[in-house]
Amino acid sequence: MEAPPVTMMPVTGGTINMMEYLLQGSVLDHSLESLIHRLRGLCDNMEPETFLDHEMVFLLKGQQASPFVLRARRSMDKPGAPWHLRYLGQPEMGDKNRHALVRNCVDIATSENLTDFLMEMGFRMDHEFVAKGHLFRKGIMKIMVYKIFRILVPGNTESTEALSLSYLVELSVVAAAGQDMVSDDMRNFAEQLKPLVHLEKIDPKRLM
Amino acid sequence: MRQTEGRVPVFSHEVVPDHLRTKPDPEVEEQEKQLTTDAARIGADAAQKQIQSLNKMCSNLLEKISKEERESESGGLRPNKQTFNPADTNALVAAVAFGKGLSNWRPSGSSGPSQPGQPGAGTILAGASGLQQVQMTGAPSQQQPMLSGVQMAQAGQPGKMPSGIKTNIKSASMHPYQR
Repeated sequence: MEAPPVTMMPVTGGTINMMEYLLQGSVLDHSLESLIHRLRGLCDNMEPETFLDHEMVFLLKGQQASPFVLRARRSMDKPGAPWHLRYLGQPEMGDKNRHALVRNCVDIATSENLTDFLMEMGFRMDHEFVAKGHLFRKGIMKIMVYKIFRILVPGNTESTEALSLSYLVELSVVAAAGQDMVSDDMRNFAEQLKPLVHLEKIDPKRLM
Repeated sequence: MRQTEGRVPVFSHEVVPDHLRTKPDPEVEEQEKQLTTDAARIGADAAQKQIQSLNKMCSNLLEKISKEERESESGGLRPNKQTFNPADTNALVAAVAFGKGLSNWRPSGSSGPSQPGQPGAGTILAGASGLQQVQMTGAPSQQQPMLSGVQMAQAGQPGKMPSGIKTNIKSASMHPYQR
């Protein structure tokens, strides 16, 4: 059910495969203000953007051992915004010199009946959380600083509890496959955020 | 005139005593004479001892200053240094990547979550598919393994439910036919 790595797929036309380049780190609550100030200085000049999103992760268990994962995200503070459906592939384990985590990424904007559609298709919700934080941009780089809230009663987004005393910081770029100089730009930007935050390539499989 | 950049117009006998004087001023000369007599009076050993104690005091002072500087710097940096916690980073990344620590608590058989599991299982069983209901009415003796299979999954995991019940249906459905 998992899409094979991009490099193995023959070029038969269709859409360009987009890859997400990702660096992650975290910052403690009391240092959030200084990080926000630094980001406001470094990033493109725009109104500080905050977001409050509810993300649900759906699994489709097929005959294979590994289920197919889709992420559905909706905005809780911007009414009328479309839902965002995302597929993220397995991280590409190629070049050790590559500074960012690279994985295949497909993003789709959908209407509000996404959860019903997914349930009809056979997906089941695995877990959900609420993400609340700030969004910055620098060119094609997107920096998100957000806090993850655990939902205590399934389906009720009012009863939430913070997962930890830190904010997660993510630096991501969605670009066409093969553009490795993107990861160099990301690493240079990450250097500027040290020693406040250490953005690095974290392999989720190591944390299982 | 050229050498002095135009400050000395004529190098005459008036200018020489002022410009080429090497003898120090009378007051300075007095002081220097006094110092040399004092130094001679003390004697060589006492002078050496004084030199050594002066050197020791200077080095002590230098050490104290450098230690103070180092301590204050690290003391000032240490509270600032903890701007992130690597354990938190890992926890947050795990939560976003595959939901570790979020609504799907998966402890193996602990008593706490199994309590919400009981009423949760009841509600999920009530809203289950037709197959399941047939299974329940047709095999009351199979209730025990069925409930235990359901208890293992938590209330927030509808995804796990069908697989648990399916295996129980498979194992229990042999009985109605064999009977």
